[in-house]
Amino acid sequence: MPHAQSLAAADAALIAAWQGGDEQAAAELVRRHARALARFLGAAGAPDADLDDLVQETFIRAFRAVGRFRGQCQFRTWLLTIGGNVLKDAARRFGQVRVVPLDDELRSRDGDPHETAVAGETEGRLREGLERLPHMQREVFLLRAQQGLEYEEIAAALGTSPGAARVHYHHAVRRLKESLE
Amino acid sequence: MNMDEELQDGRLRELARLLGAGAAERLDVERTAQAVVTRLRQQPRVMLGGWVWMQPAWLKIAAAIVLVLGAGLVTRGLLRERVPTAAVGAPLGEDLSDLTADQLRETVGALEQPFAEESPGGLDPGLESLNTAELRALLRTLES
Repeated sequence: MPHAQSLAAADAALIAAWQGGDEQAAAELVRRHARALARFLGAAGAPDADLDDLVQETFIRAFRAVGRFRGQCQFRTWLLTIGGNVLKDAARRFGQVRVVPLDDELRSRDGDPHETAVAGETEGRLREGLERLPHMQREVFLLRAQQGLEYEEIAAALGTSPGAARVHYHHAVRRLKESLE
Repeated sequence: MNMDEELQDGRLRELARLLGAGAAERLDVERTAQAVVTRLRQQPRVMLGGWVWMQPAWLKIAAAIVLVLGAGLVTRGLLRERVPTAAVGAPLGEDLSDLTADQLRETVGALEQPFAEESPGGLDPGLESLNTAELRALLRTLES
């Protein structure tokens, strides 16, 4: 927890510096959070080819609206929810069609061809399952399962209650298990 | 392989953590940071304010109101101009020689209407005594 607090304090200082006109503070915030954001967007269905654009667009939106960030959650969590909206808007503009590549990490983890094939198939099903989830369930699931956030933090970022976030997560898990069976 | 055994919550979380990891690793963070800073520099700093975020919506509403009001004013102005012109201008535009004496008197009467309304005495009492040629001459004078 102290680590999270120091991260939050560092982010807050960078945000204040950016609001004061320091461009390098904005660049530093991008460096700190871009990879986590990319991972979140990638898991949420962002095509590889569009990932850089989506990450940029998310940061631009976040910096424009940073005056409304009141520290109700971590800056990164807030950023991820903006990323989810950016991705949703992009999907609406370009349609839901996307290529589902097998993740290199999953493929290369194991040398056994059978295990590799099973892992790839499982990953593909999980991606498809995630894409079929309602927006809120998908966001809660990824914030919890991928980013490892507490329900309180997720609820604060999404403007809901921890109990509701928990319910969304369990619905998501149930549906994902069904899609993997 | 039994999927039910394999896909416990922990396994699901592990898979979720791996999703998108490869793509994220390939992201050129420094290039992204510089691109974001460049885009921010190109856009005015005033965009940081919360209220300005609403500007596109306000602008659309304001533009719609201006368009509606403008169109209404223009239409009203055109109708106002057109009514008297239509009532009086049509006969004047035609060849006066085709009109009978009664039609000429009617037209002259219509042309004199605004002046007659201002004077309680009504139409020029001498109009009835004019012949066709005199009426045509009077109309041409009024027309010019």
